[in-house]
Amino acid sequence: MSAVEGGPASGGLPPNTIIAIGVIGGLAGIYLTMLNQTFNTTIFSVMGAIGSIFAVVWGADAVRRVCSYGLGTGVPSIGMVALGMGVVAAIFGLILPETGILPIPAILGPVISFIVAALIGLVIGSMSNKILKMNIPIMEKSMIEIAGAGCLVMMGLSASIAGSFAFNDAILPGVVSTGYIAIVFIGGAMTILHPFNANLGPDESQYRTLYVAVEKAALTMVIAGFASLTVIDTVSAAVTMLVGLLIFLVYFNKFMKSVHREAYKVVGTGLLPTAEELG
Amino acid sequence: MIIDPISIALITLGGVLIGLGVHFIPVGGAPAAMAQATGVGTGTVQLAAGAGLTGLISAGFMYNFLATSGSFTSSDYILVLASGAVGAMIMITVTMFMGQLVYVYCVGVPPVSAKVDKDPITGDQQDIYVSKGTEGHGVPTVSFVSGTIGGLFGGAGGSMVYIQLMQIGNAPADPAIIALAGIFATGVFYVNAVLASYNIGGTIEGFHDPKFKRVPKAVISCLIASLLCAIIAVPIMGGVS
Repeated sequence: MSAVEGGPASGGLPPNTIIAIGVIGGLAGIYLTMLNQTFNTTIFSVMGAIGSIFAVVWGADAVRRVCSYGLGTGVPSIGMVALGMGVVAAIFGLILPETGILPIPAILGPVISFIVAALIGLVIGSMSNKILKMNIPIMEKSMIEIAGAGCLVMMGLSASIAGSFAFNDAILPGVVSTGYIAIVFIGGAMTILHPFNANLGPDESQYRTLYVAVEKAALTMVIAGFASLTVIDTVSAAVTMLVGLLIFLVYFNKFMKSVHREAYKVVGTGLLPTAEELG
Repeated sequence: MIIDPISIALITLGGVLIGLGVHFIPVGGAPAAMAQATGVGTGTVQLAAGAGLTGLISAGFMYNFLATSGSFTSSDYILVLASGAVGAMIMITVTMFMGQLVYVYCVGVPPVSAKVDKDPITGDQQDIYVSKGTEGHGVPTVSFVSGTIGGLFGGAGGSMVYIQLMQIGNAPADPAIIALAGIFATGVFYVNAVLASYNIGGTIEGFHDPKFKRVPKAVISCLIASLLCAIIAVPIMGGVS
């Protein structure tokens, strides 16, 4: 379970590049769903899910960096905590401007969510190191990243299902009341935790892990598209599903190719022998 | 805008109970999956979440039943807490029992603790039954009892968070409020369960395990984390209704 390599992960794209891709791509995707309101359509809902793919890549890379130190509890825990922190922060940020408690324009909602997520991540990360004595040097930074990514994934997928990130008008009736938020929660957590969990080991490499991240995020995108069938119109839902399926096929192919290239040998084992064959 | 101190305190208490409950659950992790450590063969978070979410469902059912039929009194509050606790206890005991059947009849190992020489509850000899090179196997009586107590705390804690959020939302039949309270309770549950599991760091057998002495650190961490979540959650639930 615990991939105790005891050192920082190395190779591939530097962390700061991935952080930039995740933050900018994720927020851009969420904000591009506003084109729906501008052009009075729902076809741009797909942008939210595409934004979530960027955020997933960031989250999976952050999980990869922190988990290569060995958490002792398995990789899944960190993915679940990512969305646990993310969901609280996302809903808070999106709802705060709409309650009218503070004079904040609604357009700043996703940014507030993101900042709140980073804040929760910082608190949890520092507690893990200071109080629980986990002694992972990048714990604080990684927890901020993972919470931020979880929050962006959550908002991206929700905006994609509902067609907008306006909380009371779109997300509350479209994603929360319908219960799709549970799919977004578990699906989002899976996309962040699964890539490293599936690839960990001494020959783990960043690009192979991130191929799985994109591929899983695309699958979740298909599910989000399917959910949005009942929320927004069929054409927009179909666009989300088809784009997701296309990305999935491309990146699953890339992943399989890299597995075949890096494995010593790939052989088919066939089916289990029957009782007669054994006897 | 309502920053209700009692709600915040109760949500925080719920979070602390979740963190405490996780420490009672016999978690074996990957070694236990190969019958090389005492406990159920999966991670802390999965076990705690499985039990906790079942607790949330049973608490939600009871809350819906009581709150929609009229006023919600403090005895109703305790009934919902008990319902959540029992739901979580049933889930964790069924998991431990089925795991036990697999360990005993399929893997063929006796349930035994490697952390104590004599079972603190039954007084049975333990050390001579531990296979060489392992950290015990199966779910011995003391771990089973401990796990049930863990379900009690976890389920009650999760339900407490849920009830409090529903009370602020003040619309027991509105699906939006129910879903929002449910997903928030789940979020708070995961944050606390993961913090507690980081404190445990892998495997724990139950309250007789030396690692159990680390509980105060988890209580402090869960207190801070839950307080932060509660301060965020309370205005939201107040804002929606």
